[in-house]
Amino acid sequence: MAELRTEEFLVNMGPHHPSTHGVCRLILTMDGEKVVAIEPVIGYLHRAIEKICENRTYPQCTPLMDRFEYVTAMATEHVYALAVEKLAGLEVPERAEYLRVIMVELNRIASHLIFWGVTAMDVGAYTPFLYGLREREDIMDLFEITCGQRLTYNYIRIGGVSKDIPPEFVPKCREFVKMMWSKFSDYEGLLNGNPIFLGRMKDIGVLTPEAAIAYGASGPVLRASGVKYDVRRNDPYSVYDKFDFEIPTQPNGDCYDRFIQRLDEMKESLKIIEQALDNLPEGDIKCKVKPKLKPPEGEVYSRIESARGEMGVYIRSDGTTKPMRVKLRGSSYNHLMLVPEISTDVLIADVVAIFATLDIIMPEVDR
Amino acid sequence: MQALEPGIVFWILAVVILVSGFLVVTLRNMFHCALCLILCLFAVAGIYVLLEAEFLAAAQVLIYVGAVAILIVFTVMLTSDLASESLIQHNENGTIAFVVCALFAIGVPYLIKNTGVWMPAKGELISDNVGSIGKYLMTDFMLPFELVSVLLLAALIGAIVLARKERS
Amino acid sequence: MISPVFAVGELDGLFRWLNELLVSIGLPQPWQDVIMYAALSATVFGLLALIALFLVWWERKIAAHIQQRFGPMRVGWHGWYQTVMDALKLLQKEDIRVATRDKVVFFWAPVICFVAAFSAYVCMPFGRGLIVADLNIGILYIMAVTTFTVISLLMAGWGSNNKYALLGGMRSAAQVISYEVPMVVSLLAVILYVGSLSMVDIVESQSGWFNWFIFRVPFGPIAFVTYTVAAIAEANRTPFDIPEAEQELVAGYNVEYSGMKFAMFFLAEFINMFTVSAIAATVFLGGWNGPWLPSWVWFMGKTLSMVFLLMLVRWTYPRLRVDQLMEFAWKFLVPVTFANLILAGILKYLGYWE
Repeated sequence: MAELRTEEFLVNMGPHHPSTHGVCRLILTMDGEKVVAIEPVIGYLHRAIEKICENRTYPQCTPLMDRFEYVTAMATEHVYALAVEKLAGLEVPERAEYLRVIMVELNRIASHLIFWGVTAMDVGAYTPFLYGLREREDIMDLFEITCGQRLTYNYIRIGGVSKDIPPEFVPKCREFVKMMWSKFSDYEGLLNGNPIFLGRMKDIGVLTPEAAIAYGASGPVLRASGVKYDVRRNDPYSVYDKFDFEIPTQPNGDCYDRFIQRLDEMKESLKIIEQALDNLPEGDIKCKVKPKLKPPEGEVYSRIESARGEMGVYIRSDGTTKPMRVKLRGSSYNHLMLVPEISTDVLIADVVAIFATLDIIMPEVDR
Repeated sequence: MQALEPGIVFWILAVVILVSGFLVVTLRNMFHCALCLILCLFAVAGIYVLLEAEFLAAAQVLIYVGAVAILIVFTVMLTSDLASESLIQHNENGTIAFVVCALFAIGVPYLIKNTGVWMPAKGELISDNVGSIGKYLMTDFMLPFELVSVLLLAALIGAIVLARKERS
Repeated sequence: MISPVFAVGELDGLFRWLNELLVSIGLPQPWQDVIMYAALSATVFGLLALIALFLVWWERKIAAHIQQRFGPMRVGWHGWYQTVMDALKLLQKEDIRVATRDKVVFFWAPVICFVAAFSAYVCMPFGRGLIVADLNIGILYIMAVTTFTVISLLMAGWGSNNKYALLGGMRSAAQVISYEVPMVVSLLAVILYVGSLSMVDIVESQSGWFNWFIFRVPFGPIAFVTYTVAAIAEANRTPFDIPEAEQELVAGYNVEYSGMKFAMFFLAEFINMFTVSAIAATVFLGGWNGPWLPSWVWFMGKTLSMVFLLMLVRWTYPRLRVDQLMEFAWKFLVPVTFANLILAGILKYLGYWE
């Protein structure tokens, strides 16, 4: 019997589309509702950050890093500062490192809250998005009282941080941590056991550990596939070796596991913040850095664990005040390449769920 | 609709039926053809209303417009090229079809005219025709009703078998 | 169906006055009827337009309060005439028409959608005697005319010449055809008991204490639940809003529509929600029946409670995928409703709940 077939057609999902989280274009080859092939097209958000860095002095590059990955801007500042400090051989005061860790972990929670809300919204539940933003608002308030900014902080500078925390920060932060612990039962009650949500997420977009490693996936995406790898633990930087925290992993690597993985990671971040607040040392917040910083000739690569995965900065210095070459590594780039890989035999609605749970943000891809 | 002459409504409906029926077989855009078919079926439902057969009218709309015609539109959307494609609706069998249709159009009135005496229905029109249709389907016409159901079931299973892909 | 009575209950006086006026100025009989029908239609239309505007505002407020926001607050007390202003804005907006659209189909789609949504109210009993025409095929008529909504969505999907719109139109057709079966079969259980399709008969058979169909255990509550689920799908609302799934199809069938044409789709959607709620209130919740208060208050109260339920569901649940939606309809809802129909038949035969 001849197979009944319908015609295939192309759908341009994006550059402007509600669920591509920025300006990503996915060329979908569709057979009715089924997606036969996906081709991501990138470059719509290219701002040439790496090139601009070559014409700026080292301290001037920090604000640009905020724009590299603006959902966790603290992490990008952190990785850049670590790279320059390693290159110039600067000793950062311990209090500054603790403050950095607190800020980065708070930012990680903020990012995961957005992920949580956006993923729920992408499968059709609108309300969680606003709940996620509600808690994120408190984090933004904490940042605001510290550095005056809410999105692009310019807080973590080369050699330390720009300002010390105000006296009300620590109690407010403890209050937030306490409040956040109490919210997880809400989050879990709202979606985790919902049959519709499970139907949309379970066994969709399964990423095997082998494929994850082959594509260079990192962060929550990799850990959701069962690979216990975290830069904070495997290659400790800053003061992360002083904290006691778990590296959560999930068994299956499907959309649901990636979703749960972020909820688990938020809890670990809260543990780190609690310990950092308890052990916050007194002292300077910045070492002496010359305004015209001239690191010696050479190259350096530093990496950290951002909310999305391994984030790296490579800097090559020629001994002048400006870097000769800056290369940024964002994990979203690798994760975007996973979309065609794990979207086999899916419907258009699954592509949205897969895209959402990989937590791809486009500025990190295009730079 | 006592307000309007029943004659006027009938003629309007008749013209709509004929014109849309003609358009179904002549229009070059398949989607427009399907929409004309819907209009045609809807106007037929209007005729039923004029004949005070409301149940039939509602069933006509519900089944023909609501299900059959929508399936046709659905099929058109799935199979034809997505850009509105024009197609030629006639082929080499056109002449034969025309002759057959012409014979039918002449033959049926001829037969009707020569069937003998036409008797108007005896007695009053039943006002509650929904109830009586239900009663008759469950009593006098039980067997045909069930036969039609079985036929539909067979068609349903046949369609599933045809559409089902062979499992490797 | 052909000769409805002007049975308009509380509004009776007004219409009688209008009729006497028409007689006194000596209009011929056909024209009198035409004007009376027009007046009646205008009343219902105006009422429904107000209801639609109210529902838009209400939905925004409910959504806002669920999400710990305030929603519209600026225009009037708690933004009560925000939607009026929005409608005025949409009226003034440019009517953007895609160059490659199918002209005729694109134009008629919102019109048909709007008309289909409103025509269901011909035999909706708003209260004791508050009904335009008590058709003896009442509920079947409502089911029949609302199918035109699907055609309009298909037309919008095709006429826009947009792939998202096309997918949305096809999804809506598949969805509505599938969910019409469980919806009608759940209603059939009640119709079987009442023995009439007339909306008035259905309401009157539920008069008295705890005589509503939702209280007639076990078939009544089951039919009510299956009906509500199917009705949410018929009204294209979350968790069954795949025809306009914002995150997948941007806006589905109405993606290319703007200005008043969009507003027609938008208002029709809210009218459809009110329709399915009104049917639920009439068939399962006893319609206008209830002690002390006027009949129309009971009807509106029950209907708005149903609307509230639909809104709560919408702002709580995620959306189903298209294949899950079909599986749920055919593999779960249809068998359950048919079993319930048989159950209702047996109970009726045995004489329960008569």
